[in-house]
Amino acid sequence: MSALYGLYPAADSAQRAVDSLRNASAELRFDPRQIVVVSQEPLEHFAYAEEYAKSAMYWLAVLGGLLGGTTGYLLTSITQKSYPLPTGGMPLVPPWTNGIIVYEMTMLGAIVFTLATLLVTAHLPTFKKPLTDPEIWSGKILVGVTDPPENSRRQLEARLTQAGALAVKLNP
Amino acid sequence: MPHKWAMVIDLDRCTGCEACVVACHAENNIPTAGEDQAARGRTKHWIRVERYWEGEFPNARIRFQPVLCQQCDAAPCEPVCPTYASYHTSEGLNAQVYNRCVGTRFCANACPYNVRFFNFYNPVWEKPLNLQLNPDVSVREVGIMEKCTFCVQRIHGAEIQAEAEKRELKDGEFNPACVQSCSPKAMVFGDLNDPASEVSRLAKSGRNTKLLGELGTLPNVNYLERNS
Amino acid sequence: MEKTSEQIQRDLVRPLYRTGTAYWIAVAFCSSLVLAGVSAFCYQLYHGIGVWGLNSPVFWAFDITNFVFWIGISHAGTLISAILRLANATWRRPVTRCAEAITVFALSIGAIIPLCHIGRPWLGYYLIPYPSERHIWPNFRSPLLWDFFAILTYLTGSVSFLILPIIPDFASIRDTTTGWRKRFYGALSLGWEGTPRQWHRLETAMHIMAIVIIPVAVSVHTIVSWDFAMTLVPMWHTGIFGPYFVVGAIFSGIAALILAMALLRKFLHLEEYLHPIHFQNLGKLLLTMSLLWFYFTFAERLTTWYGNGTPEMTVFWFTIRQKFAPFFWTMVFCNFIIPVPILAIKRLRTITGTVIASSTIVIGMWLERFLIVVPSLERKFLSYSWGTYRPTWVEDTLMASSFGLMALLYLLFSKFVPMISIWELKAGLPEHTPVVAVEVPAGATNLSARESPFPGGVSS
Repeated sequence: MSALYGLYPAADSAQRAVDSLRNASAELRFDPRQIVVVSQEPLEHFAYAEEYAKSAMYWLAVLGGLLGGTTGYLLTSITQKSYPLPTGGMPLVPPWTNGIIVYEMTMLGAIVFTLATLLVTAHLPTFKKPLTDPEIWSGKILVGVTDPPENSRRQLEARLTQAGALAVKLNP
Repeated sequence: MPHKWAMVIDLDRCTGCEACVVACHAENNIPTAGEDQAARGRTKHWIRVERYWEGEFPNARIRFQPVLCQQCDAAPCEPVCPTYASYHTSEGLNAQVYNRCVGTRFCANACPYNVRFFNFYNPVWEKPLNLQLNPDVSVREVGIMEKCTFCVQRIHGAEIQAEAEKRELKDGEFNPACVQSCSPKAMVFGDLNDPASEVSRLAKSGRNTKLLGELGTLPNVNYLERNS
Repeated sequence: MEKTSEQIQRDLVRPLYRTGTAYWIAVAFCSSLVLAGVSAFCYQLYHGIGVWGLNSPVFWAFDITNFVFWIGISHAGTLISAILRLANATWRRPVTRCAEAITVFALSIGAIIPLCHIGRPWLGYYLIPYPSERHIWPNFRSPLLWDFFAILTYLTGSVSFLILPIIPDFASIRDTTTGWRKRFYGALSLGWEGTPRQWHRLETAMHIMAIVIIPVAVSVHTIVSWDFAMTLVPMWHTGIFGPYFVVGAIFSGIAALILAMALLRKFLHLEEYLHPIHFQNLGKLLLTMSLLWFYFTFAERLTTWYGNGTPEMTVFWFTIRQKFAPFFWTMVFCNFIIPVPILAIKRLRTITGTVIASSTIVIGMWLERFLIVVPSLERKFLSYSWGTYRPTWVEDTLMASSFGLMALLYLLFSKFVPMISIWELKAGLPEHTPVVAVEVPAGATNLSARESPFPGGVSS
């Protein structure tokens, strides 16, 4: 992915860069969604990161649990009814023991849904070449613009540097 | 009304001759374990005669108790089987479906009477014993459980015969191999749902007890206690 | 002294590049154990379970002992790590991954054992619920089916719990290396970038997983205990087995975790990451579990003794006075009498001390499972059909190979994956932590860290 980015030593300078790019997006004709931030660890208490701090993952996990539990209930009761073997005095559809299967399936549903939501919303796995820089892993924060408009590169570079970038690089 | 097969064993009459054990082996294609395996505790007798001593020598008395699958109404072996290999038939028998058995051995551990047996190896019959195999009974391969069936092949045979002749089954018309071979007539087999049957009559005896009856397994084998 | 991000990255990735002779010797040794186990299993498959020492009435012995043992060991990782995560105990950071890896491997071994122990392993798939030409579904009343579902759920959960936080670490290796490793870790990192959205989703997912995995872990060992408790067998048929097994599982799991951490510390040179404080904190947890274990054992035995039922008392005296008494009292020594003073006295609660205590506990907890399975089966109701069990070389080999497999998986894992979560450790550095959280730096010996094993407050 082609990108122009700067490397920042800390969250505050990265935030400055993000704000600066965002203010210039109309003028330099690029979409604010083209702004990327990449870090080596979760950036809490950082305004740009907070925007993503809302998601329906908990509710989707609950939904997965409900679906899993329902599957468990249907799996046990339907199969038991469809083949009514003599059970030697036990009920054909025993609630106590089936409850255990329903419980495990509920949990499995929640786990699978969480996993699926994570993979879908975090865009994993992806075959795109990830935007990254070895410097990130020693604590730098990458802020940049993907597919920067050709004619405004100079201005973007200036803004990235001005916000306090240690280095500004262009990804081919 | 479906049948409810049951057995009464009169402990007063049992002499401990073990003819039932031999008959069972012959009828049900049970291989003999051999000295070596027997020493390792792997004998396989669907019916065994348990022998207990009462009192101290010289005033010791011996007590024989034939133990076979009790065909429990609330069988501990049935619910624990993950594949329904061990299940309850509509005639009240604890059946073992060999094809479904994967050999978890859970049923054998759950059985309080230790009357379920595992095929530790493939069965072998030395020549000429292979010629006496009963064609009505399947041979069990390595890795599966087996147990007394109340000679289910004889039950089904008699039922089919009676149906072909368009008549009801008569009490005592057929018997499992152990009952048939019991010379002191200590064992009686029949239908508990037929109030006129010998088994129903004997089961009403005041001497009737159930083996480990306190466990609540509701066995269908009744033991008539010794009076003498 | 605080480390910087660069140092952490370098130190924790180093074991992936440098491999000593000792490592290859260990791998060769463990592989030969595994190979011996595979051969023993093939021998058993060819001849039948008869090559084991099982008999009538002892239909389960080493197989199920090891099954319960390994499932128990698997309760270290995910459960501990989930509790510490939810409690926000910061000292957890260097501990979680090696704990979670124990869970995944021990659970996998535990899941393989039932497949090897059944009479016809080639029909093991009969337990899986799927529509088949046989027109029959498995019996959901059977505790073995509950086992199947519980292990399936727990394995799915703990594999995710282990793998998800490794993804960013894979990405970090991808970006800082060259050659085949770049391609290898590039594929494993699934294209991870590290955008705020990805970080947020990952952390949320881990939080949900931590919440879900705790009740699942509890259910797994409870269900394992129900394999016994659902029968009428003397000393098996008891309601205490569920919690007793869960406590025993966490107990043996923490012991295994301490052993693994000590080995990693020594051989991967992680002295600057796994500090005495970690062993001390886990040692306190282990002490708690030891006391709980004793309490449950006492409660179980007392109830039986007071009830004085003939079948139960037969097994009771059989274990504590007769044939199995040497094993029983060794177990009490290993699980209680030796570890409690070591773990209770502050001066003895060192790395060496906790390692000694953990070693005896692992032995003691294996004996505990053996004493649950075998004596009851040998002395079941009708005295005419009592039996005697003695393992054969096949069972011994299979058991040794299960330990070999565990060690081998762990060794291989440590060669491809950083055994301490790099990004979580970095996120725990003081300059990266918001002021609101009380931070206990890794390796700090200040008072607040010593006072409680759970700075986050789970101990209440």
